[in-house]
Amino acid sequence: MKNTILSQSAQDLTTQDLTTQALTLQGTQIMKRERIWMQFVLSILAIFTIAACSNDGSNKGVGVATDAAQRVYVAPGEKDEFYNFVSGGFSGQLAVYGIPSGRLFRVIPVFSVDPEKGYGFTEETKPMLNTSHGFVPWDDAHHTDLSQTGGVADGKWLFINGNNTPRIARIDLTDFRTKEIIEIPNSAGNHSSPFSTENSEYVVAGTRFTVPIPNADIPISEYAEKFKGALSFVKVDKTTGRMEIAFQLIVPGFDYDLARAGKGPSHDWMFMTCYNTERASTMKEINASQNDKDFILAINWKKCEELAAQGKGTIANVEYAHNVYNDETHTATSTIKKSVRVLTSDDIKEALYYIPTPKSPHGCDVDPTGELIVGGGKLATVIPVMSYSKMLKAIASGKSDKIIDGIRVLPYKDCLAGEVQRPGLGPLHTEFDGKGFAYTSMFVSSEIVKWSLKDFKVVDRIPTYYSIGHLSIPGGNSTKPWGKYVIAYNKMTKDRYLPTGPELTQSAQLYDISGEKMKLLLDFPTIGEPHYAVAMPAALIMKQSRKMYQLMENKHPYVTRKEADTKVVRNGNDVHVYMTSIRSHLSPDNIEGIRVGDKVYWHVTNLEQDWDVPHGFAVIGNNNSELLIMPGETCTLLWEPKKAGVFPFYCTDFCSALHQEMQGYARVSNGGSAPLTWNKK
Amino acid sequence: MKVYSLRVLVVLMSLFIGAGLVGACTQHEDESDEETPSFAEAQKPKAVYGKIQKVNIGATIDADMAHEGKEIFEVKCMACHKYDERYVGPALGKVLERRTPEYVMNMILDTETMIENDDTAKCLMQEYLMRMPNQDVNEKNAREILEHLRDHASKSK
Repeated sequence: MKNTILSQSAQDLTTQDLTTQALTLQGTQIMKRERIWMQFVLSILAIFTIAACSNDGSNKGVGVATDAAQRVYVAPGEKDEFYNFVSGGFSGQLAVYGIPSGRLFRVIPVFSVDPEKGYGFTEETKPMLNTSHGFVPWDDAHHTDLSQTGGVADGKWLFINGNNTPRIARIDLTDFRTKEIIEIPNSAGNHSSPFSTENSEYVVAGTRFTVPIPNADIPISEYAEKFKGALSFVKVDKTTGRMEIAFQLIVPGFDYDLARAGKGPSHDWMFMTCYNTERASTMKEINASQNDKDFILAINWKKCEELAAQGKGTIANVEYAHNVYNDETHTATSTIKKSVRVLTSDDIKEALYYIPTPKSPHGCDVDPTGELIVGGGKLATVIPVMSYSKMLKAIASGKSDKIIDGIRVLPYKDCLAGEVQRPGLGPLHTEFDGKGFAYTSMFVSSEIVKWSLKDFKVVDRIPTYYSIGHLSIPGGNSTKPWGKYVIAYNKMTKDRYLPTGPELTQSAQLYDISGEKMKLLLDFPTIGEPHYAVAMPAALIMKQSRKMYQLMENKHPYVTRKEADTKVVRNGNDVHVYMTSIRSHLSPDNIEGIRVGDKVYWHVTNLEQDWDVPHGFAVIGNNNSELLIMPGETCTLLWEPKKAGVFPFYCTDFCSALHQEMQGYARVSNGGSAPLTWNKK
Repeated sequence: MKVYSLRVLVVLMSLFIGAGLVGACTQHEDESDEETPSFAEAQKPKAVYGKIQKVNIGATIDADMAHEGKEIFEVKCMACHKYDERYVGPALGKVLERRTPEYVMNMILDTETMIENDDTAKCLMQEYLMRMPNQDVNEKNAREILEHLRDHASKSK
């Protein structure tokens, strides 16, 4: 125990800024002597910092900048410098934070229902969660990517993957809403996704689980021969953002993990890691970790695009949902599509190459110049850095280690730009600061390692608390990073926060990377479990933020633009209530003539035309969510009353001094033929 | 005085940590049961880390303890450790031929301290890349597991 404490104090010394911090506090008398001692200690420890990195919770202060509080403090009324869009992991949602404050602004519902916002409950949004398996109320959302122009985020859309039931969603960055979800057929575990090409020509969807294609009732023991990987290229319309699956590549049955598009010279390429080249189908923890090298698959998507355009490949029968939210009708529609163009490795031999990569590679990250491709071998002892130009030469040389299903495996050394030696344990993901440095997350040794892109030497390292997964620098995956901060997204928090029972908060950590040494500034909690996240300057997004929906442009089939048009209409057992809400009344507010067994559709239009005035709507005992209606919007809540009586409804969003008065009653009768009546102004 | 001795220890510690990392781990440690005793001897830690400084081993095996230990071992350990094959963690059938009883007890009871300080534990960490999870085993149970491992080894001879 004693030794543990000592090693921690040693670590404290290495990571603090010695000349400016602890020493000045100890008085000038012993300062000189202390400094010599500590520099000696530092010089030894600098060589061996991996071992000194403890995973023990008592290292609270390690690497914390002395001015951390000032650096992350955003004064009341002031705004953050960056938006940080953080995947919600098993929450299925997308969280929006401010950086540097780490404040949570919004959770955007994407793949999971959200009764607070009515998402997945309203008639308008239910179709968003439709799939070929029917309505799926949840998913696991791992990776975000921003739409790009010239390799730089353009602030239009954000893409995020659904991992469990393979999907990609597109979020509109003007109103922070999910506008489109496309399901990916022939895929299972959409992990290698959605990673955008340089001008968002495509987002990609590589499968983590290989499956029989087409899916079939066959023995799992036939995995190695019959299971294949499907890599989908989803075309994004430049103006509308609308997605469509352009083509799928059917490739050897490895597990496709993460991807990055090339940039600049490598613009035409997508690089995708894969592991389980052993093609093990059981106890993968062990059996998929046998080979010393797995692969990065280099895909010339431009060439695939050309070949697809020439009619190469086949049209396969599949079934997948394509759900699109219409901004004018405020309503989503779900279409089940039945076919997709499929290219096998025979069709596209000259567009696919495997680059050997040690060992079970996870992250695959391309530097801002587009020349270097960094593999994060989670079991590797080095970080391999591949060279795009060398890869081209290796392709031209005709040399191959071997050929797998017609795909050439290029010689490792011929593609290698260099290896980062002794980076730490468990390298996963790499981001770039645009100043010649790369930052790699090290899961096992719980640290961020900064290394030079010039000589691949480690120049700095700092602990994370604990077990960092992804990391993000604003624009850190683009051609022009804003290299001021790096944010760590950790897998464990253990002792960092007040305990909350067996399940603890998830957490991110903000580090300053403006200087030579990284400095810890802030811990902040996150929702779900954060995986990848992206950040961009707030100035590029906030000015385009939508304030409300124009009533005059509202084309919802059940819109009520003015109070005079409010009404209740019976159509068999369906009752449609055309209701309006404005501070502070609902119209109509009393309705009679509803019968047990009716389906009552509350179509509520919010007549407000100012920012920040949503109204809510809820009915007692409704087996459904509330509505939360933005200004100028129409939303529909279904209510199926099961017994007779009088049922109150009210506005749930505090809107004015007389918000409590914003209410009404619905009378429900057993049978009878009384006509519908309602009162209004 | 106090400050001075602390400094010395810090320096010694850092040298020790460094040696542990660079020295011992360059050799791939074979955790299979074919490991030779001489190699095991060389790998024996110089110091005992963790809360168990000395384990008293009986001349004979305590059957009741071994029985209890087997139950616990099967529930809390065997998802990752087998007796005769490397699995998620090292094979443990003959672990007492290469590790001391104190090492075994401390790995169970005080994994973090071991991984931070003990050369062998550090190397294994780098090899297996998986921190042994805390399975909430108390000292009595750890001792019983140890007895079970003794028992198992004696029976499979």
